[in-house]
Amino acid sequence: MSANIAEIAFQSTQINGMNVHILPTGKFKTTTIVTMIEQPLSEETVTKTALLAMVMKRASARFPETKQLRAHLDFLYGAIFDVDVTKKGERQILQIYMEVPNEKYLSQGESLLEQAIEFVGDMLARPRVENGAFVEKYVAQEKETLRKRIESLIDDKMKYANQRVTEEMCKGEPFALLVQGKVKDLPGISGQDLYRHFTELTTKNPIHMFVVGDVDQKTVEQAIAKHIPLNRSQAESLNIDQTAKNEHKENEVIDRLEVNQAKLNIGCRTHITYKDDDYPALLVYNGVLGGFPHSKLFVNVREKQSLAYYAVSRLESHKGIMMIMSGIDVNNYQKAVEIIKQQMESMRKGEITDEEMSQTRATLSNQFRELLDSARGMIEFTFNGLISGRKRQLDELLKGIETATIEDLKKVAEKVAIDTIYLLRDKKGEA
Amino acid sequence: MQTTKFEQVNETVYQETLANGLQVFLVPKQGFSKTYAVFTTRYGSIDSHFRTRDGKEINVPDGIAHFLEHKMFEKKDRDVMHEFSKNGASCNAFTSFNRTAYLFSCTEKLDDNLNLLLDYVQEPYFTDASVEKEKGIIGQEITMYDDNPDWKVYMNLLKAMYKDYPINIEIAGTIETISHITKEYLYQCYETFYHPANMLLLVVGSFEPEAVMKLIRDNQSAKEFPPAPQITRLFPEEQPEPAQPKIEAALPVGLPKCMIGIKEREHGLTKEALLKRELETKLLLDIAFGTSSAIYERLYDSELITESFDFDYSSEQDYAYTILGGDTPDPERLVETIQNEIEQLKQKGIDPDDFERAKRKKIGNFLRSLNSVEFIANQFTSFKFNGNDLFAVVPTLESITREDVEKRMKEHFAAEQMAVSIVRSASPQE
Repeated sequence: MSANIAEIAFQSTQINGMNVHILPTGKFKTTTIVTMIEQPLSEETVTKTALLAMVMKRASARFPETKQLRAHLDFLYGAIFDVDVTKKGERQILQIYMEVPNEKYLSQGESLLEQAIEFVGDMLARPRVENGAFVEKYVAQEKETLRKRIESLIDDKMKYANQRVTEEMCKGEPFALLVQGKVKDLPGISGQDLYRHFTELTTKNPIHMFVVGDVDQKTVEQAIAKHIPLNRSQAESLNIDQTAKNEHKENEVIDRLEVNQAKLNIGCRTHITYKDDDYPALLVYNGVLGGFPHSKLFVNVREKQSLAYYAVSRLESHKGIMMIMSGIDVNNYQKAVEIIKQQMESMRKGEITDEEMSQTRATLSNQFRELLDSARGMIEFTFNGLISGRKRQLDELLKGIETATIEDLKKVAEKVAIDTIYLLRDKKGEA
Repeated sequence: MQTTKFEQVNETVYQETLANGLQVFLVPKQGFSKTYAVFTTRYGSIDSHFRTRDGKEINVPDGIAHFLEHKMFEKKDRDVMHEFSKNGASCNAFTSFNRTAYLFSCTEKLDDNLNLLLDYVQEPYFTDASVEKEKGIIGQEITMYDDNPDWKVYMNLLKAMYKDYPINIEIAGTIETISHITKEYLYQCYETFYHPANMLLLVVGSFEPEAVMKLIRDNQSAKEFPPAPQITRLFPEEQPEPAQPKIEAALPVGLPKCMIGIKEREHGLTKEALLKRELETKLLLDIAFGTSSAIYERLYDSELITESFDFDYSSEQDYAYTILGGDTPDPERLVETIQNEIEQLKQKGIDPDDFERAKRKKIGNFLRSLNSVEFIANQFTSFKFNGNDLFAVVPTLESITREDVEKRMKEHFAAEQMAVSIVRSASPQE
């Protein structure tokens, strides 16, 4: 391990009630500006927020028609712009993404950075609103688009199975919600509701704005102060406790659909989240079990038994869930479950080789260091620290990964429990 | 070692062709943590009919290039993926229609990883038992793709466009075709296509070029290779028109998927001419169907397309085509509307403002993609295989005029060159 790890060193400050984090770096040929608005994930607002994201990007006061707005983005040398929602534990994040080339690389000398910040300001402070409502035409169209987006979840069987097992496993918990919301909520949402929700989010909820690129900090701060004049009180952080069932019995759920390959998803509670001291050990646990091509699941389900093309485990670190996923022939269902359970059992017994440990430490460290080459990656890492309430330096996390022992992994294994075994299978065979 | 500086994008490329014929390219990226290396052979799923080293003509089973890619990771006494893991690197490989690439990325132990990459790709080891075992794994990979409607609508469109040319064949083959694969076939393909003279190594990221070039030179000069074989690929004559106007399939989907393909009539362009045609066509598509175009707006407002609507142009010496489409509630009406819109645009011609904007957008997008070592690694090689330089894209883009794109529009947007592929659910409740 190299001695010095470059830290992900954002300079943080408050501007117009927003938390602004700036990272000047000469590494990239573009400037990336990501704005995150946090709110609790909830039945009442999940669909509204998802729809709001889509309506916001259709127009602004300065560009009242979508075509004008998009033409302006093209004019800014194909600026990348998107508004979307993501789920982080039991938070729903509305995210405005903007990326423009650094003018240094263009023959024209105009300041694309300031124009990009102005554009973000259009989204946050100068939306297109008529009589206290978002424009009906766009609201109606985006309801339709969102409906189609939710319904097309079925197209991607891996994602579909993942959402279904999450729903079954987290029944009654906000985390069960699909981040795009529910089709049945759509008819009840008006342009007025949306505008009220927008105002609430932009004036009260925590906002984090990240800027990464070859920029001057002062210039960025001044541009934000000028172009994004939000009227907010001091931004607070949301206190969201992740709910988790403590009583465990293994549920089995089987869905049927016209598919050739069955999807086996096993949802586990880890009882460890990003903020916990044993989080680095959980990362290593997941790595040894199913994070990599050297992991137990890959080796035993794929390489030794040829049962699957993929067999992996993934963490949702804010909620504390681990998802095991594999695509199998339906006739191998019991066998695959049995092999997966055996691997988890051997983790509990500490049957882990030094080689598995060193491979996992090395590949995990590599993954985290690769973040340094991506503006998005560095923003994501920093944001995870902010919302979890535990800001870790990259160096600290790497040290945690490096020093986690087999004993530590055994302790993690004690906490990991299977909650739901889910199978998406074909329509043939016995019901 | 030759050095080429691309001032405008501030990138430098170091290049050398080794004694055994291997072409090596190094692209150092200042300030980056990671290094990405790709070792590519000009051999893909379409190369299934060829002459072997001794001049014998053979047909090998469909999917063999991909199968071979999988089998390269297994050695007599070790598993290559585990070796990379020990060094902290993540490794991968992929097979496309015309190439097979082996790659890794790492933030440390670059020397070990580079030697490992060169060694494992240059050391075939196939046994009957391991070939049989792989059939189960690849069988599941094929089944996974069978359930993927986006892949289905795309592959079907290629089948509709191409009658005999083998890009109408699944890259991974089918469960039936891979059942015929043997270790003897694998060795034959390996010996024909994996000679260093048919390969290219690219390293991009954080390193010192002189030292890395020396390592590669030393690695290669320590090995012995037979003389480079004369590679003769045998391709069927392809008719200029699409094989069939329309193809349909049933899979459970939220909305039907519909894609329109426009097959290129003329082939054989190389180097600059090939690049220029590609960039002209991409500009044309963006002007016609980009998110700020009038056509896009009308299609979206009439709810014929969703945000999934997309388009792309694939361009190689022997085959080239446009694909556009996405999810739609009414495939037939979408096709008809797009055909009408194309005819109108041809009448009207291209607006000078739209042209300028599309050009700015393309230049900006290109600069953005240079942030990504993955992008560079993946694109650089395919540009090179076609005799072009990735970093020369901006000057070529700048040289293109509106008249060039108008001319391209007239030759490319031809109704008789179009084919349609649709995927929809068999029963409405799904």
